[in-house]
Amino acid sequence: MRRFLAPLLTLFLVVSLGPSGKAADSDNVIKFGASLALTGGLASEGRLVKDGYDWMVRTINDRGGLTVGGKKYRVEIVYYDDASDAATAVRLTTKLLDEDHVNFLLGPYGSGATFATSSVAEKYQIPMVDAHGASNTIYTRGYKYIFAVLNSVDQYPTPMLKLAVEQKPKPQTVAFIREDTLFANLGIEAGAKQAADLGLKVVYNEKYPSGTKDFSTIIAAIRAQKPDVLIAGGYQGDMIVITRQIRENNLDLKELGFLLGPTVRGYVETLGGLAEGTLEPTQWDANMNWHDQLFKMSSEQFAADFQKKYGYAPDYHGPQSAAALEVFYNAIRVAKTLDPAKVRDAIASSTFESFYGPIKFNELGVNVGKGMACIQIQHGKPVVVYPPKYAEAKAVYPLPH
Amino acid sequence: MEIVQAVFNGILIGGFYASMAMGFSIVWGVMNIINLAHGSLIIIGAYITYELVSRFGLDPFVTIPFAALALFAIGYALQRYLINRVLQASLFATLVLTFGLDRVLVNANLQIFSADVRGVTPPYAGAALVLGDLRLPWIRIAVFAVAILSTLLLWLLLEKTRLGTAIKALSFDRDAAQLVGIDPKHLYALTFGLGSALAGIAGALVATISSFSPVIGDGLAMRSFVVVVLGGLGSVPGAIAGGTILGVVENLMSIIAPAYRDAAAFGLLVLVLAIRPQGLFGRRFYAEI
Repeated sequence: MRRFLAPLLTLFLVVSLGPSGKAADSDNVIKFGASLALTGGLASEGRLVKDGYDWMVRTINDRGGLTVGGKKYRVEIVYYDDASDAATAVRLTTKLLDEDHVNFLLGPYGSGATFATSSVAEKYQIPMVDAHGASNTIYTRGYKYIFAVLNSVDQYPTPMLKLAVEQKPKPQTVAFIREDTLFANLGIEAGAKQAADLGLKVVYNEKYPSGTKDFSTIIAAIRAQKPDVLIAGGYQGDMIVITRQIRENNLDLKELGFLLGPTVRGYVETLGGLAEGTLEPTQWDANMNWHDQLFKMSSEQFAADFQKKYGYAPDYHGPQSAAALEVFYNAIRVAKTLDPAKVRDAIASSTFESFYGPIKFNELGVNVGKGMACIQIQHGKPVVVYPPKYAEAKAVYPLPH
Repeated sequence: MEIVQAVFNGILIGGFYASMAMGFSIVWGVMNIINLAHGSLIIIGAYITYELVSRFGLDPFVTIPFAALALFAIGYALQRYLINRVLQASLFATLVLTFGLDRVLVNANLQIFSADVRGVTPPYAGAALVLGDLRLPWIRIAVFAVAILSTLLLWLLLEKTRLGTAIKALSFDRDAAQLVGIDPKHLYALTFGLGSALAGIAGALVATISSFSPVIGDGLAMRSFVVVVLGGLGSVPGAIAGGTILGVVENLMSIIAPAYRDAAAFGLLVLVLAIRPQGLFGRRFYAEI
């Protein structure tokens, strides 16, 4: 009995662990593949991304799917969990193409994994539209099959710096601190350059190694330079500690911004009043009120529908992920085929407005249709304060004490 | 002036490092177990504090005994029913077991608490003792005091009580200890429970001065390792000295070149290993490194 039981159990395990939701008639399904951080350090964000992808799958299928060559197709995503590890993401992406034979690829979460898996897409010449690879280095390798719906990280500091120089009296000096990682390095290096162009003096610009848990002395060193503005970039947990230690160490700032942090779950809850007045660039906000040409809905309507289905108001992760799949939806309709090369060309010449914003790719594959806005935490909630066109409230300046 | 501030910051964080490392050190010293799950035990302590503060509005420092007691119980049970089984096997077996245990705890924490980053900020977070240009946040001073006090209590327990004598006897000669009526299984479990209780205290302190999520335990275990090797195995003064040295070196590097603070800390570790392999206060009759 035991001899039969073991293979049987193995078979059962393989079947039950395999990708869920296999269609009965696989001919009528367009299969997308995505390796996502569903466990590990990036699991919180990974799950937000999955909800965004899933929302779009439901929406497309609810509206009758896609018709290609007179045949109706449903849309389906095969997910694997890369446990927040880029090397695993590469292995799983290869598996998606070799074993699951997915038609197209959706991006993983984060710049590291996107950078790594885009090489697989390029090698197999399968288009990948990613929603969460913000590092510009992903797009400057001459790859033809990688596209990004989001603004790259070099544009993150821009709205925070522009907001600063429009204040009266105008701040004179700016300090930068960042974790020594790809994302933060690119964002802050670009920020330092933009700050100089905007007439701000950069008085401090250093990096710290990943895993640093105490910033007291770094903040004391920044304090000695007396900057008006501080912009920090790195892991969200570090941003919480930095915000708290700015207060502990009495660093007096007029503006405090982060590449990311204040809108991530846990920041406001942990810091309470200390979070007031902090800035973060945002790719999207329901208030921006774009109008989707394909699904005929505004950003606000998208947000309402998303909240109904997933039980929380989406931040930018959800719509940004959904938009990546919408790019495929649009391109397949235009190309009228599932041929990867033809769909790729159709993606490259996309021009449409989605609930996430205008989509138009430059020659590198980066969406240049939309710019970034910037939010500020006011009374515990993020509100858009820049650019003035979308502002929900006036920016609080200087930073309250 | 910045240098003086950096040295004080280093000493304050060094006390925390010492308490974190002491739990790791006693388990290693007495049972020759390099407990790779130490970081995850600290994180559990941090969640206990976080939950008590956010649900019942307790002051984070009031939660410390709860974190310590809960972790003592968890640690006792883990050693009694799990780790004791491989204690007579090679060091490699305990390494694999504690590594596996760590993975289980990390993923259990992720399931229960999610990967969201947490921390607690008491209302007095910004208050500080100001001495001229020197600024010492009260919360840091309190964390330092708790850390040093708990480490010293453990030292008193080991040096001045019958229990401590029995634990030491067991670590020197298991057979002889059994001959005089010491129950190794119970005593090993007590020792692991004490180490875990210190991890619980360190966790409560992490939640108060820093931020945490289930996946940052590895970094804490790594720092504990450095402190123990610097200071010497099983030695309380060693843990305090090792923690202080690590804290001061890290903070001095934060002025000179923050990007190299880890390089400096681990460089120091290599240096100590080369010159004085038993650590600054290490005694040879504790388990060999």
